Amino acid sequence: MRKFKPNETVDFVVVGSGAAGGVMARELSLAGFTVLVFEQGPRLGSADFEHDELKYFFLNGITVDPAVSPQSFRKTSDAEAKRTAGMQPAQYARLVGGSSNHFTANFWRFHEIDFNERSVLGAIPGTGFADWPISYQELEPYYTKVEWEVGVSGLGGASPFDPPRSKPYPMPPLPVKSSGVLLERGGRKLGLHPFPAPMAIASQPFRDRPGCIHCGFCMGFGCEARAKSSALYTMIPEAEATGRCEIRSSSYVYHVAINAAGRATGVHYFDADKRQHFQKASAVVLSANGAETARLLLNSSSARFPEGLANSSGLVGKYLMYNQGAQAYAAFEHELNEYKSVQVTRVIHDFYRADPRRGFYGGGGIDGRINPQPAIWAMTTGGNLPRWGAELKTRIEAFPRSMVCAGHTTSLPLASNGVSIDPTLKDAWGIPAIRITYKDHPDDLAFARFLQDRQVEIMEAAGAQKVWRDDVDELEAGVHLLGTCRMGNDPAASVVDKYHRSHDVRNLFLCDGSSFVTSGRGQPTMTIQALAFRAADHIGQFAKRNEI
Amino acid sequence: MHPRSDQDSSRRTFLLSSGGLLSSVWIAAQWPAIAAAAHHAEDVSAIAAPLGFEFLGAAEAADVAAIAAQIVPSGATPGAREAHAVYFIDRAMATFFAAWAADFRSGLVEFQAGFRANDPAAAAFAQTASDRQIAFLKTVDRSPFFETMRTLTVLGMFSSPKYGGNFRGIGWTMMGFADQHAFTPPFGYYDREYTGFVPYPRDEHS
Repeated sequence: MRKFKPNETVDFVVVGSGAAGGVMARELSLAGFTVLVFEQGPRLGSADFEHDELKYFFLNGITVDPAVSPQSFRKTSDAEAKRTAGMQPAQYARLVGGSSNHFTANFWRFHEIDFNERSVLGAIPGTGFADWPISYQELEPYYTKVEWEVGVSGLGGASPFDPPRSKPYPMPPLPVKSSGVLLERGGRKLGLHPFPAPMAIASQPFRDRPGCIHCGFCMGFGCEARAKSSALYTMIPEAEATGRCEIRSSSYVYHVAINAAGRATGVHYFDADKRQHFQKASAVVLSANGAETARLLLNSSSARFPEGLANSSGLVGKYLMYNQGAQAYAAFEHELNEYKSVQVTRVIHDFYRADPRRGFYGGGGIDGRINPQPAIWAMTTGGNLPRWGAELKTRIEAFPRSMVCAGHTTSLPLASNGVSIDPTLKDAWGIPAIRITYKDHPDDLAFARFLQDRQVEIMEAAGAQKVWRDDVDELEAGVHLLGTCRMGNDPAASVVDKYHRSHDVRNLFLCDGSSFVTSGRGQPTMTIQALAFRAADHIGQFAKRNEI
Repeated sequence: MHPRSDQDSSRRTFLLSSGGLLSSVWIAAQWPAIAAAAHHAEDVSAIAAPLGFEFLGAAEAADVAAIAAQIVPSGATPGAREAHAVYFIDRAMATFFAAWAADFRSGLVEFQAGFRANDPAAAAFAQTASDRQIAFLKTVDRSPFFETMRTLTVLGMFSSPKYGGNFRGIGWTMMGFADQHAFTPPFGYYDREYTGFVPYPRDEHS
């Protein structure tokens, strides 16, 4: 791996080493540029990951630690934001590879409708519902690139609702689990079209990585087998192998510097010992996730940019979208043993498109899975049933015979939802903290409930002995951090242009979940990476033409 | 350990069943984050049998064990008692969830006082007949202390045994979870008989 000298000016600083930052690092270094990637968290390897629910779900094993990086939450701007404990309102993994380490690896492409839904359906009053400045067709080659470069398993064309694709998947789908068989059985009985789940997990050896060993510890865990196509195992080592990229871990960027001409000159950061440094760069790319990218911009305000860097639109941090969703639980006669292998093997997209006849906006996908793993299942299996005593024990004992039918749904972009800077709360480095304001649009809740009814029907049609459900409530935390620096053609109505260049600062690019205009249907990472491949392609061309 | 600005509410707000992917998966329980303490937990796991309690007094431990035993009762299969959930809870309060210890203890004291007030003639909760324990728990099972007990009991039964509970993996055995590092298909009954994905007719949704 390249190590840059302290006073060296690199071509690109990339802030964040996750799903988007990893792609940026690889693509820009492969294109011949020097790239320095900053990551707040440590560099871990597959040997560091464990099958340990307590560590990862309760002790912040790899996730943002509220003891040192606090956040606050409020539902509406007239409420007082309160510091949160436990799961954070903007939850993410903090290590090299970011949240691509602990994600579930559902890798649906967006459909054509996701990019032009506003034009098709019309305005939704009181929301920022808008078309994207790019189409599915423009992004398609980059979806294909994700599948082949990052490594995605699936069966092209299996879903009649799939958008067009230029190439099949590089790997076949993972072996079907009983949850997938039952989802398919129930779905087909109802005239729906279940299909093999596209997953960013190697179903067979892929490049230098082994195929999945079906250990079952995907969601919330780093992969011990290197089969999950995390940036840690894919983009990052390939970037380093160019000899032009350094991953500087345990290094926390807190400020983007701007000169008198309004150009980014580099970033200020803390090293592992909390010493402050400045890194010079010809251009800066923020891929820190939909919460931290917005926070970094807002914390980089100056006389020239008093409301935050690149925020002439006033939209930095606004339109946060979490994705709603709901669960139906089902117990069957025989064993499923859902704790084995990957989370999801079958998906249903029959309800992907919004239908105005329902009286509310929303679309989504359904899958079959279980909540990982024994302790999490025992804790969450309650739904709306009695939560202790003999009834709880009966449900726990039904673990091998149980599954979850999960719905993943839309969140509308609302200007009232977003990331802002808490006026008083600071982190352990003295940097002002994230404040999240979030309240679901009524349509988001209505559609999640609508889809949950379908999930229940599917489980009943599959022959479940017992079906129960969670209540659908307003979200107060999320792992999908979308929309906070939306892309668009109009500088007054968006933060970045269609190439992820900030409208206000020519050599500042923002690319991660923050770029989203709408929320998709609950599986954003595939699109985050496709956007990153596309952005890196264009940014590299700009740089070569001296247009940065 | 950091001060919490919302001592009374947010800490006690469990998002366990608040709907959506996140809540059911990410378990937004109100745990303080003391990652370093996990290492301590690993150290003490080398001790084969519990040597006594670090945090709980004997009477407290008896009541905590009794509450846990009602949350996941013993019967034809093991419950919280056989899984040593009380030892997990004691260790948690002494080490990796230490930031919760003061609130846990005051919740327990309040619980005990409530039980006595409810039935002044009764002995300690732990010494009371099971049906009367259940009747009382039904009056307090929405309280933050009970929620904490429920969470701790479940974690004490089903987390890795290295944290002091799930004695000899008894919780995993009870729920039918095989602690193996790798599996091969078929995984369950229904995928064993699956004959392959049948494609849909091409023109069905054009």
